[in-house]
Amino acid sequence: MTDQTLLVLPAGIPWVLAAVFALLDGRRRWVGRIAAVGLGVSFVSMVALALRVLRDGPVEVVAGNWPAGVGIVLRADALGVAFAVVSIGVMLVSLLYEVSLGMRSRTFPAVVLFMAAGLTGLFLTGDIFNFYVFFEVSVTAAYVLTSYRERDYQVRAAFIFAIVNLFGSVVFLIAAASLYHVTGSLEMQTVAERLGETSPNSAITIAVAIFVAFSLKLGLFPFHFWLPAVYVGSHPPVAAILSGALANIGSYGLLRFGGILPDQLALGTYAVLILGSASIIYGALQSISRSDVSEVLAYSAIGQAGYILLALGLGGPVGFSAAVIYAVVNSLNKALLFLVAGLRGPLVGAAFAVGALSVAGVPPAVGFIAKIAVFKAALAAGAGGGTAGAVGTVVFVTVIFVGGALSFVYMFQIYQRVFLAREPQGGHVEKPSPRATRALVGVLAALVLVFGLWPEPLLVLGEEAAAVLTGSPGDVSGGGDSP
Amino acid sequence: MKNAPARTPEITSVLVRTIAKLLFLPILVTAVAMLIKGYAQPGDGFSAGVVGALGILLQYLAFGRRTAERLPLVGFAGKGVFAGLLIALLVAATPVFLGQPVFTHYPPAGASVIYVGTIELITALLFDTAVFLMVMGFVLGGVQMIAQTIADEDEYRGPEATGPEFDASAGTDVEPSSGGGRR
Repeated sequence: MTDQTLLVLPAGIPWVLAAVFALLDGRRRWVGRIAAVGLGVSFVSMVALALRVLRDGPVEVVAGNWPAGVGIVLRADALGVAFAVVSIGVMLVSLLYEVSLGMRSRTFPAVVLFMAAGLTGLFLTGDIFNFYVFFEVSVTAAYVLTSYRERDYQVRAAFIFAIVNLFGSVVFLIAAASLYHVTGSLEMQTVAERLGETSPNSAITIAVAIFVAFSLKLGLFPFHFWLPAVYVGSHPPVAAILSGALANIGSYGLLRFGGILPDQLALGTYAVLILGSASIIYGALQSISRSDVSEVLAYSAIGQAGYILLALGLGGPVGFSAAVIYAVVNSLNKALLFLVAGLRGPLVGAAFAVGALSVAGVPPAVGFIAKIAVFKAALAAGAGGGTAGAVGTVVFVTVIFVGGALSFVYMFQIYQRVFLAREPQGGHVEKPSPRATRALVGVLAALVLVFGLWPEPLLVLGEEAAAVLTGSPGDVSGGGDSP
Repeated sequence: MKNAPARTPEITSVLVRTIAKLLFLPILVTAVAMLIKGYAQPGDGFSAGVVGALGILLQYLAFGRRTAERLPLVGFAGKGVFAGLLIALLVAATPVFLGQPVFTHYPPAGASVIYVGTIELITALLFDTAVFLMVMGFVLGGVQMIAQTIADEDEYRGPEATGPEFDASAGTDVEPSSGGGRR
């Protein structure tokens, strides 16, 4: 009973609050505060659920007391809760940020809560169609969020975002329908079991469609064209939510469906690895050539997504766990940097520097842990493969290293331009941002450092999540207890 | 502004208006029937909501915005969405507090059901009613928004503008040469 309550609470609270808050005026201070408290409670229950899952294995509920195989399955496993915790956390911080600066729109809290409801549902469902529905709920909320503040370019960005994402959704819906067509089920584990018996032709087509759909969400290299326009136009907390929470749908989807379609993933390894490497290099080079902070961060997001794809392509327990760790760390980094980019005043520069170090992968920031994980994955992949494996390892290690070095360059280029160069100009001293907002960003920066110095929770999370993907679909709970 | 109310009757013919009036009640009755008989026969809250909303959309098309919005409860469409959502969440979440999985419906299979006439009182019906409210409210809200936008444009254009419609509307909402505005 407690398990069920724990599974329902994180998604249920934002749902109910979103419905209520949609009728209230979000510009009133108390409305924003209560919304933040509600999202906070949801976050805490999510963390509790995550601890429960990490300790005792996945929690599963079949809705409506239906027999298994008939009802819709809600399942919380390590992979889902890892993404859910970080996404809700990022949204909570962004909501608090906006509350502390003063809300400008009556719908903002409600839309954020709707998105939180959609995201938790998406990460905690075991059913592919439900996954699609929740995905639409959160993405629809994101369309509204993107146009927040309603300047011309923001509405334009929202329009681009909506068109591209609707296209991605349609592609995914087609893939979901085809999966149902070939397997006769929408339940993820059943689909994974039955896919082995289907014709390889249809399975690989479906896999490609799913890959395109999620790459589009994540903004990987050949599908990235929409991303800079949207991130540059968005208000800082919105950009933080989009890249720190919503983009997780892409990485989660790639990982989850990589686990459901392992043979197809193995078949497409080279494509995935090449696209990942291209994404890293392309994102880094583009970032270096830009001068606007949010534009640099937008292109950097493309590069960072490349690491996740690279780790996914390297595969195996090490690769998957690296992908999870990198995705989680990347969310934290992006949230921190986008939020900081909108602020001025003491300690803001320091917080930005922490984020920059983390993106570049320099200790003691947590980005170092993520880079190391991907490095390890590259080394592990080459270990058993003879000459080809050795060459591959050299190539990937080089790509990771070059990508990291380039990200160091572009991050400190903006640091210099924004936080160092401002003082000598002197003419206009910008008024520092409210203390509460800066404190919030400081907490996020501290978190980045703390997880860099004490990475165990992150590593455990990554390993457990990878075990969900590599373990045989039947007994997911058994693959847990490696140190 | 002045010609807006006068122009509305001219758009539709007597035939359309008469049929719209005749069909209005049957459409709503069909919608309710789809809603409450959805378990034994085809239908559910979603399709009932769509059918009901189409019935009201027909009134918009035939009689114009002002007349259609005078219909009872049409003004509450937006609120209906959220009321529906809350009812649906209530139905989904209540079993959790009773120790059952989400979306468990009462009475359980095999138990006796209370009848009101031929309607079976089950929580699934309440859930479908919520879906009905949401769908209907959403579609009507969309219709109202579009109607409002068209009315605003007409007012903006004023009685003098007699040129082709495309030119006038293109001038209002597409700004020329705005491509690199933010760079």
